[in-house]
Amino acid sequence: MEVITGLSDGLAIALQPANLFWCFVGVVLGTLVGIMPGLGPPATIAMLLPLTFAMSPASAMIMLAGIYYGAKYGGSTTSILLNVPGESASVVTCLDGYQMARKGRAGAALGIAAIASFVAGTVGVLGLMLVAPPLAKFALAFSSPEYFALMALGLAMVVLLAGSSMLKALLATLVGLWIAGVGTDLFSATSRFTFGRMELLSGIDFVVVAIGIFALGEVLANMEAPEQAQMVPVPKGLRNLLPTLQDLKDCRFAFVNGSVIGFLVGVLPGAGSTIASFLSYGVEKAVSRRREEFGTGVPEGVAAPEGANNSETGGALVPLLTLGIPGSGTTAILLAALVLWGFKPGPLFIPENPALFWGLVASMYIGNVMLLVLNLPLVPVFAQVLRLPAYVLFPLILGVSMVGVYTVSGSLFDLGLLLGFGLLGYLMRKLDYPSAPLILGLVLGGAMERALRQSLMMSEGSLTILVARPMSAVMLLLAVLILLVPLFGKFNTWRLRALEQKGG
Amino acid sequence: MRMPLRLVAVVAFIGLCTTSLAWAQGFKPTRPVEAVVHTGPGGGSDVLARAVAIMIEKENLLPVRMQVVNKPGGGGAVAAAYLAEKKGDQNTIGFFTGVWLTNPLMSAEAKISLRDLTPIARLVLEPAVIAVKADAPYKTLADFIDAAKKNPGQLKQSGGSITSRDNVVRQLLQKNTGTRWAFISFPGGGERIAALLGGHVNMMVIEPAEAGEHIRAGNMRVLAQISEGRLPGFPNVPTLKEAGIDVPAVPQVRGVVAPPGIPKENVQYWENVFRRLTQTASWKKYIADNQLEDGFQTSAELVKFYDEFTDRMRGILKDAGIKIVR
Repeated sequence: MEVITGLSDGLAIALQPANLFWCFVGVVLGTLVGIMPGLGPPATIAMLLPLTFAMSPASAMIMLAGIYYGAKYGGSTTSILLNVPGESASVVTCLDGYQMARKGRAGAALGIAAIASFVAGTVGVLGLMLVAPPLAKFALAFSSPEYFALMALGLAMVVLLAGSSMLKALLATLVGLWIAGVGTDLFSATSRFTFGRMELLSGIDFVVVAIGIFALGEVLANMEAPEQAQMVPVPKGLRNLLPTLQDLKDCRFAFVNGSVIGFLVGVLPGAGSTIASFLSYGVEKAVSRRREEFGTGVPEGVAAPEGANNSETGGALVPLLTLGIPGSGTTAILLAALVLWGFKPGPLFIPENPALFWGLVASMYIGNVMLLVLNLPLVPVFAQVLRLPAYVLFPLILGVSMVGVYTVSGSLFDLGLLLGFGLLGYLMRKLDYPSAPLILGLVLGGAMERALRQSLMMSEGSLTILVARPMSAVMLLLAVLILLVPLFGKFNTWRLRALEQKGG
Repeated sequence: MRMPLRLVAVVAFIGLCTTSLAWAQGFKPTRPVEAVVHTGPGGGSDVLARAVAIMIEKENLLPVRMQVVNKPGGGGAVAAAYLAEKKGDQNTIGFFTGVWLTNPLMSAEAKISLRDLTPIARLVLEPAVIAVKADAPYKTLADFIDAAKKNPGQLKQSGGSITSRDNVVRQLLQKNTGTRWAFISFPGGGERIAALLGGHVNMMVIEPAEAGEHIRAGNMRVLAQISEGRLPGFPNVPTLKEAGIDVPAVPQVRGVVAPPGIPKENVQYWENVFRRLTQTASWKKYIADNQLEDGFQTSAELVKFYDEFTDRMRGILKDAGIKIVR
């Protein structure tokens, strides 16, 4: 009942012409920011902050939130078309999205990404609206041992991301974990692998590595065949540019999986959308009947991570609005904005400002519809990018990558790193090392190490803390099960072979 | 040859006029001012710099706009080095915190210290409070210290990096009371609070404005405040000294610096801008809303402050078992 009156009050606010307008401005800006690698929602929101003082807080919040979730829609565009992740949460989308584009299905991939984003974005708002307070309790119960188990679960997925050789996949993971270790150690203030460079003190930005290995590595590998005038075939006709009914059917479970995992991980202040997208991709692959086709361009490989990074937004707003606890750069700047407007974010924020909360929730339903309507017609337009001949497309990818990296840090050192990782990506392709496990190790490594050390400090050095707590025990058990998946596969082939031999 | 007295007077007058004119016409930024911060958007320095930019524009204190530029990395080292590289640049300033002084003590890679830049002004001191979960058995700081004495090393505090103010407070308290408890680092402020509210740690050092809402909601209790006098928001909570523990209140300090090698009149100009800022109503409201302490100090005073602060921190960090490289 409370929800219905709240939502109808909220709709009354969100549907005011001014708020509709700012919601539209927010989602358009968000889409643009998402498409451009480098410029992320935190920087955009920070830049627009002075403007918001001329608006009502409701309009301002609606617009800033629009930028936040709108960026998740745009992020997939360059991942799919150019293999350049538009933002960190869209790195996983490269795996199958770009392969779909190479098969001439760029339009379908972009369409699936938009639909998955819409479904999961809406589920995220539903979650925020219906279960925010109980979930905030869940977020608080989740601490270092649980985070460690979650990261271990994520890392176990490496066996699913491995290509032809498990050994090569594990080696790549180790390199990723090593890169995650570069920088100043949080616990002892000691610098590790910084080689006297202060640019390395805060570690290597994950986006630099991802763009280098995926985008630059791909360009370098493709340049070996200069006679290839056009990299990717683009089918003619609008119909062939949109996802088919079969695609949508294949993605049924991915929509649900992405929505739920994204939202739950989003609620945790110590996780984030990149981890959410990796987890949902892994889960999707683990339960899929055509597991071996992942990485060659299956639509559910796009739908799961794109869904997860969108519903993560709704989840991340839960601790922000119910507890005043930010979990990411974007929510931190939203929190700062609320304070600057004169609000007191904390446990009493929603009860004391119901109009603002419900107005925001209602605007997010509207904003997600706007985004779908905005993004689907753009699909055929963007797909045309791939018609460009290679001598235009390759420099374009290089340019987009370098500008993207430079806008993140404004440091030439990072551009050098980008080139280095581009070369590494090229070598890995030549030597048939899978790149996804390296990225996975890098994404999870830092958080996993921290969580383990925090857990051990909590338990005064006893490892039993990891299995004594139910949530972490369950996740660790799942991790072990996932690690056994390839063995089951092997066992099956042995059994079949044995049966064949018996029969023969 | 004797100069007529009147001529002397006229010459002197003209001379006076031109010098005072020159002073009045003196330095003014001509391009938009870059305000460099060492955190990403949403970090403490970033939020302060953006709030200052908004207030400066509202109060019309600068003829040009002020843009915040994020140079995150290396615990301030990257931003400090960026400012040092801009030697002589008249349209750049930076927002520093105490980390800019402590980081070079511990990290060989952080070669630029605040002393290598031009001091402009100190702006705020951020006090803090010691908070526990509302259902914790400790009603006073003495309760907590007693519990720590009975269970050495078993209580836990959540905080930032080992070099953060949170840990400095812990080191001082431990040394003064002969106790010890664990310090668990979390990279994000949100995670620190979540660890306390979830009951995974026993205590934390938190900013007053942040704690205020959790207290009002009945989730948190404050045992003592780390400030010289009682804060307006916490009239009934004792300071550390009042709680019987004689350790210095270590505030988080924030202020403004400029690149090295800028003319003296520029320093005066900037000092003046920030002095006028701290006298405005918007600034006073900002300070009150965020429960900060006005810590305005001039460029000259700031240099003295550097030395005191660095010496004190060097001792504290050594006690904490951290390797000092400078």
